[in-house]
Amino acid sequence: MNPASLIPTADTLTAHWGWFQFLLMLTFPLHLFAMNAMLGTALSAFICHVLPERPYRELSHELSKALPFMVAFTINLGVAPLLFVNVLYGHLLYTSTVLMGLFWLAVVPLLIIAYYLAYIYDFSYIKLGSLAVYVVLAVLLLLMSVGFIFSNNMTMMISPASWLRWFATPDGTLLNLADPALLPRYLHIMTGSLAVGGLCVALYSSTVLKLDSSLVKAGTRLGMQLFTWLTALQVLVGTWFLLTLPGEVMKRFMGNNMFSTGLLVTGILLAVATIITGYKRKVMATLLLTIPLIYVMSFIRDSVRTGYLVPYFDMTKVPANMQWSPLVFFLMTLVLGLVVIVWMLSKLPVFRKS
Amino acid sequence: MNYPVWYVPTFGGGVLIALVAIIHVFVSHFAVGGGLYLVMTEWKGIREQDQSIIVFVQKHTKFFLLLTMVFGGLTGVAIWFIISLIHPAATSLLIHTFVFGWAAEWVFFLVEIVALFIYFYTFGRMDDHTHQTIGWIYFGAAWMSLFLINGIIDFMLTPGTWLANHNFWDGFFNPTFWPSLFFRSFMSFMLAGCYGFITATFLEAGQTRHKMIRYSGIWALISLALSVPAGWWYISVLPEKARGLVGGVSPTIARAATVAAVSLAVLTGVVILLILLNPKKARTRVLTVIVMVAAMGYMGAFEWTREAARRPYVINDVMYSNGILKEEVEQITQKGFLKTAKWVQNIEVTKDNQLEAGRELFLHQCFACHTVGGFNNDIIGRTKNMSYGAMQKYLATIHEKRYFMPPLVGNVAELKALAAYIAAGLHKKPLTEDAVAVGDRGKNLFDNNCAPCHAAGVLKPKMAGWSKEKIRTSLDILPALNPAMPDYSAPTADKNAMSGYLHSLNNIGSAAAPPKEQGAALFEDNCAPCHGFDVLKPKVSGWSKAKIRAALDKLSALNPGMPDYTGAAAEKDSLADYMVKQAGGAK
Repeated sequence: MNPASLIPTADTLTAHWGWFQFLLMLTFPLHLFAMNAMLGTALSAFICHVLPERPYRELSHELSKALPFMVAFTINLGVAPLLFVNVLYGHLLYTSTVLMGLFWLAVVPLLIIAYYLAYIYDFSYIKLGSLAVYVVLAVLLLLMSVGFIFSNNMTMMISPASWLRWFATPDGTLLNLADPALLPRYLHIMTGSLAVGGLCVALYSSTVLKLDSSLVKAGTRLGMQLFTWLTALQVLVGTWFLLTLPGEVMKRFMGNNMFSTGLLVTGILLAVATIITGYKRKVMATLLLTIPLIYVMSFIRDSVRTGYLVPYFDMTKVPANMQWSPLVFFLMTLVLGLVVIVWMLSKLPVFRKS
Repeated sequence: MNYPVWYVPTFGGGVLIALVAIIHVFVSHFAVGGGLYLVMTEWKGIREQDQSIIVFVQKHTKFFLLLTMVFGGLTGVAIWFIISLIHPAATSLLIHTFVFGWAAEWVFFLVEIVALFIYFYTFGRMDDHTHQTIGWIYFGAAWMSLFLINGIIDFMLTPGTWLANHNFWDGFFNPTFWPSLFFRSFMSFMLAGCYGFITATFLEAGQTRHKMIRYSGIWALISLALSVPAGWWYISVLPEKARGLVGGVSPTIARAATVAAVSLAVLTGVVILLILLNPKKARTRVLTVIVMVAAMGYMGAFEWTREAARRPYVINDVMYSNGILKEEVEQITQKGFLKTAKWVQNIEVTKDNQLEAGRELFLHQCFACHTVGGFNNDIIGRTKNMSYGAMQKYLATIHEKRYFMPPLVGNVAELKALAAYIAAGLHKKPLTEDAVAVGDRGKNLFDNNCAPCHAAGVLKPKMAGWSKEKIRTSLDILPALNPAMPDYSAPTADKNAMSGYLHSLNNIGSAAAPPKEQGAALFEDNCAPCHGFDVLKPKVSGWSKAKIRAALDKLSALNPGMPDYTGAAAEKDSLADYMVKQAGGAK
């Protein structure tokens, strides 16, 4: 059976595909930022428990207060890109979702448990005593397992050849473990996330916690060390990931596709630059380089997906029936929502004082 | 057909969707009404300069945050996940049609989160006016989420003029949009009052506890009273078919209506009790639990009714519950389902692959609603009274006979394959087109059910001297005769046929049993698909033949869920004859 014959027919779009692609590429990196901050906060808090110095204990307490916010915004900012992926790639995504239904549904209880544990870690930090380290470790592991499930779905949806297994195993227990690119891809995104998460901890320590110099020092040191070493490790993991990609996909980044090649070169240059600024513990400079780096990495990820799908699907050929007014309504809602959010934030005591 | 199917025979998708949806709805409506409750109650505290009320609101906000933001938010994601698993085609259609509605809802979700965090963490650290404004922003954003989701959910029941023009706004502001919005808003305010009891019963100070329970009770009672006419309005604008289902044609809605009525009565009673008799010194947690259960029953019954009222569609008049588009039915029937479907291995039905092709048809056309030996709508239980022949006849007119079932979409060979899969694949029944002679049928049944373990020749000496009645009785108690033997759970007619055959082994000549009477065959074809005679017997026990015969002329009047019997008068006579004999009624 030809796997291409299994691909469901894509539904008609209600706007030009470019709008959805634009919105996807705009919102996905925002989710990545929040997700990175969340994982980095959890990892840093865990490390702080292990380190003997006093400022680290206090830092973990401060990070415990930030963790629930990170979880909330990671989930919220994940909704938008997932929505636009549903529009552009829904027919592929739903198929792989059915194949791994049991694991996909497990995301929800895993997240609920992690979220409540994050609140327990925050609200009962003192009461937990020596148990706190285990609670935050559980949060970290649960969140990373959710990431693994997502990596499986995102790789299985672009590999119709793996879908044939459904006929023998229709009970939703399939994963994409046979794909050689799965593990390096997962490790690539986790290493990157924890690195950027370290940067976020350094930023948090040097801004929100700036009144306590020992915390600033401890947080900046831990965060920037995490960032620098993990980003250096990322060079190896990224290379491994690149080499496990199917030949045609890999060649997109080796000169066959100039845009993709340019993205990879830019990404590597930015990464090297951040390693240097990270090593020198320059938080703001590293941040300014990391923001475009995450956008570049998101575009590279998108190019990998396009490469995988070349034999199967071309989103530019999906029929569209343009309806402007709902799009305008959404854009107006977005602007209004952001204005209201900025107004609310401006009323926060912390900003009013400054 | 366009998508694979997540095959979990025991649970089935419907149960999972219902479970997640009812839990989510119960929390997410609280997230809306609770927003108003918080700001109004805080305002009461500010106005009355009562710090104990402010402390209550702060405590309640913490509970609210932990319940709505974590559990409510994630069960909302869970609904998205599960509908894309169970109804991928419908989810895709909804997402593509209303993508910017969902996207706008995401913006309000973001505003909600920011507002709620600020509201909770700035109690006592912000001036009253700004704090109240943040609270109102939270409520506004939460209610707008309800507004947007309400349009999309109601589109599934009443797509209205969208059917003709596919215009976003026509689909969104569909015929049930406004009544549903009012109903849901009142429900959300009612739930806010009910949840208020929970925090209130944990208050230590008796005076404040008493005051807040009464306040929450009045809040819940007024909202509950307003929700009733809104619900009535909602039902009154339903299209005719859906109204028919709500009016009693759908057995599951009839059950839901009972749950709603009981819940409403209990809820009203207990809330009034809490307002009037709320003691200052004692806690009332038991009553609070009853309130929550009843509120969930009321809300759950409404959601169940709304879901069931659009059957046999998942999107009314657009897509059937099994993902087949209404507009494609004719074309698929002509071409054949298996040739059109993507996720099948058998493209054409042959003698060799009939059962396997039937299984694939079952998976793609029936499994969306039926479990296999599972908790809900078990296909094995529902079809146990049907022979292969009866199954075919039933499938051919399934949608006409029972509106809430989608039609079987496929050619004749596919219909037979599905019937074969259910009759032989699931029930191990013989695949004879019509088992007219009892003796033949009995042999077929024996071959299918008993022969795998013991041949007729081995059994024959063991049953020497047994009367037909003794054999018939023993078929009801097989495990008692030998614990290794499974129970033979077949319809009475099958057991009769098999005992006739077994008796004939030692009594040559008796095999030429009389042909099955016409009434029995008619019953099997026309009535047994929905109710076996064992279910019907207590209901018609003692009825005269004339009464049964008269009832056969007005089935739909007796029960709106039953189709009228369209056969000739002579058939009805035979059927009445058969039934009165079986029920032991007077001639």
